[in-house]
Amino acid sequence: MKDSRTLLIRYDEIGLKGKNRKYFENRLVRNIRYALKGIEGVRIEKIHGRILGRVSRVDADESVYRLTFVPGIASVSIGISMEPDFDKIAEWGIGLINPKLEAEGHLKFCVRTRRSDKSFPSTSTQIDFEVGSRIMGVLTDKGLSVDIKGADFVLEVEIGPQETLVFDNRVPGLRGLPVGSSGQVLSLLSGGIDSPVSTLKLIARGCRVHSIFFDNRTFLGRGGYDKVVRLARILNRYQGGGKLFVIPFQDIQVAIRDHCSDANRVVLYRRMMYRIAYALAEIKRCQGLVTGESLGQVASQTLENLAAVSCVVPMSVFRPLIGMNKQEIITQAKSIGTYDISIEPQPDCCSVFMPDHPATRSKIKDLEADERCFPWEELMARAMDAVETINLDELD
Amino acid sequence: MIYLDNAATTPVAPQVLDVLKDSMNSDFANPGTVYSIGLDARNKIEQAREEIVRVLNIPSTHKIIFTSGGSEANNLFIKGRCFPGKKVACLGLEHPSIRETLEYLRSFGNFPLSLIEFQNEGRLDLKGVSALSANRSRLLCLSHVNNELGTVNDPIQIFDALCQGSPDTRLFMDGVQAVGKLKLPAEIWAGLAGYSVSAHKFHGPKGIGFLVYDSKLSIEPCIHGGGQQDGVRSGTLPVPLIRAMAEAVKIVAERIDETQDHLRCLNQRLVQSLLELDERIPQLNIRFNSLVVDDLKRQSHSIVNFSFPPVEGEVLLHHLEEKLIYVGLGSACSANLKEPSKILKGIGLSDDEARCSLRISFSRNNTIEEVDMFVKEFFKAYEMLYPTFKGKGR
Repeated sequence: MKDSRTLLIRYDEIGLKGKNRKYFENRLVRNIRYALKGIEGVRIEKIHGRILGRVSRVDADESVYRLTFVPGIASVSIGISMEPDFDKIAEWGIGLINPKLEAEGHLKFCVRTRRSDKSFPSTSTQIDFEVGSRIMGVLTDKGLSVDIKGADFVLEVEIGPQETLVFDNRVPGLRGLPVGSSGQVLSLLSGGIDSPVSTLKLIARGCRVHSIFFDNRTFLGRGGYDKVVRLARILNRYQGGGKLFVIPFQDIQVAIRDHCSDANRVVLYRRMMYRIAYALAEIKRCQGLVTGESLGQVASQTLENLAAVSCVVPMSVFRPLIGMNKQEIITQAKSIGTYDISIEPQPDCCSVFMPDHPATRSKIKDLEADERCFPWEELMARAMDAVETINLDELD
Repeated sequence: MIYLDNAATTPVAPQVLDVLKDSMNSDFANPGTVYSIGLDARNKIEQAREEIVRVLNIPSTHKIIFTSGGSEANNLFIKGRCFPGKKVACLGLEHPSIRETLEYLRSFGNFPLSLIEFQNEGRLDLKGVSALSANRSRLLCLSHVNNELGTVNDPIQIFDALCQGSPDTRLFMDGVQAVGKLKLPAEIWAGLAGYSVSAHKFHGPKGIGFLVYDSKLSIEPCIHGGGQQDGVRSGTLPVPLIRAMAEAVKIVAERIDETQDHLRCLNQRLVQSLLELDERIPQLNIRFNSLVVDDLKRQSHSIVNFSFPPVEGEVLLHHLEEKLIYVGLGSACSANLKEPSKILKGIGLSDDEARCSLRISFSRNNTIEEVDMFVKEFFKAYEMLYPTFKGKGR
């Protein structure tokens, strides 16, 4: 059986669920099957509150890589089925540990055994000791040490009635809830750093997140659009089934620029974006909007201005980054793979559309007065009629 | 579509495409192999090389090394000659593939001399040559035709000045924007230690170019490998690209008189129309960054670069794009960077003036009607955008 591998897929939050746990588990299994589509001979089994995947040796790493994109998974490890022989288990363990040890120069490790076959003559603790001491015997001189609590590498051994499995170190997953378990939302996606992170936050809470992009290529070219399509494709790898809606926004921006007070422009743009997003969310059966706003980050993100935009939509607006600082957001953007695209230079609309001194505390009655100066309902209807829908699955 | 960004790249000529397709089919053998089809491939490269040598009047004192394009040719010659410590100079208005190569040398303690204080109308003032001798520079790197401005450094004048004022300094020229626009008479080569060429700037394919250099000089290779091209540039030679490039060179050389006349007409029409607009429209202030002269020793007809503050060039570019008119903004290699072009700033423009500029670059494919259409749409876009930018202090 050396040519097959067993993936142990662990979940955490679903385990806390009560009566509806099965629903979440089944959803996760479905998503795992979707993520591993195309890998030949893969079998997913749900056994005693755990999910096991059987794949061939050559597909194991690729499968684990794909599973790191599946929300709801706490960790994955690759196991091999072998005889319950301490020497052989230790030999396998050395093969796993040695390359990491050589790269690092030192490594803390431990063995953790789970023995469900109670007829096996040694206890879990004895097995830990037997395997661990054999490994130490070979690798101590190279810098290996034992640390039960703070191990960098945990070799996991499972001795069951049917087979004995030995697992490589755990690869952390995204955690959270399986996509599809929490309904749909619509995210306002720009080419920046923040909105992809906020989008993923909701995906990892089990939502299917569609995105909406406000495009102004007349002034800024198609670069922003291309960038957002690439970002949306990356984000869709975490969920599948996502759509990107592109709204031509230049006429609205021009109207606001030409007819409204300079200082209020930014908030007025955002009020229009929220209105359009809300209208589209209703049509597409999304139950909330998602934005990448973080309190105080820019002029439009003060408490007053956030209130002034939220009040135009009778729908939940989720702002998962509201309390995060820029560095935290950047770190997350790097880990989800959107950062490098987000920082690519892109023409911004500052010179044309941004006021020199944007208002940080817009008053709603002033904004409403501004909005009486241009036919926003008509422009909004026209923009929505021209929406472009991109089915992100089709791009892969 | 009206394509006016020919300094960025040009469409492949139909005859060149025919050669490329045919050669892709028939010349697949590795020209380094010893069986007959490999020898045939090698012979075809030699024929292409001879063709290039013949039409560009390259003397037998000089050698050709095929490269992936102009950037590689610039890197190969400058690093191959001056790494790590040989002193090198430039005007300071060169393409990034020269500028950044010199920056790379700087990181090894080889500080390049910039002659920017001797720039006059985007060209090297010959008085700057004395600074080269004082600095003991062994190599001077210049654009033959500046990629953003179209201004010309005349190799013969500069070589004469070097002979007088700094005889130990050799001249290297980036000829990427010159081939097909300026004549390369036999007399220029004696003064050139090296010269770089890129096929896609004159209706050839992308991914191929060459370095011409004085064969008395030794060049350290940048790419090591199978020892092709006398070990100066290893790598299997792309027969179809080389043959297609030779065809493109042949066409531009054969048509150079006709092309120059045509480019002159396009240039004059554009400049004249813009001047008329400038005269007629009080809020339009056009400043030409390239020279408005009919003198190919100073300015190529192929490029017109102008500013029109306060309207930003990039916004105008996108408005023209909507009308399927494609123009350039600074140089294509750095157009993605937000900072304004170093070249325009180098000739004294402020950040805002540099941002408010476009580069129109012609090829033999363009027509007077296209120029007229551009001017019309430029003005329409400018008129629409002007109120937005007015009062921004630009």
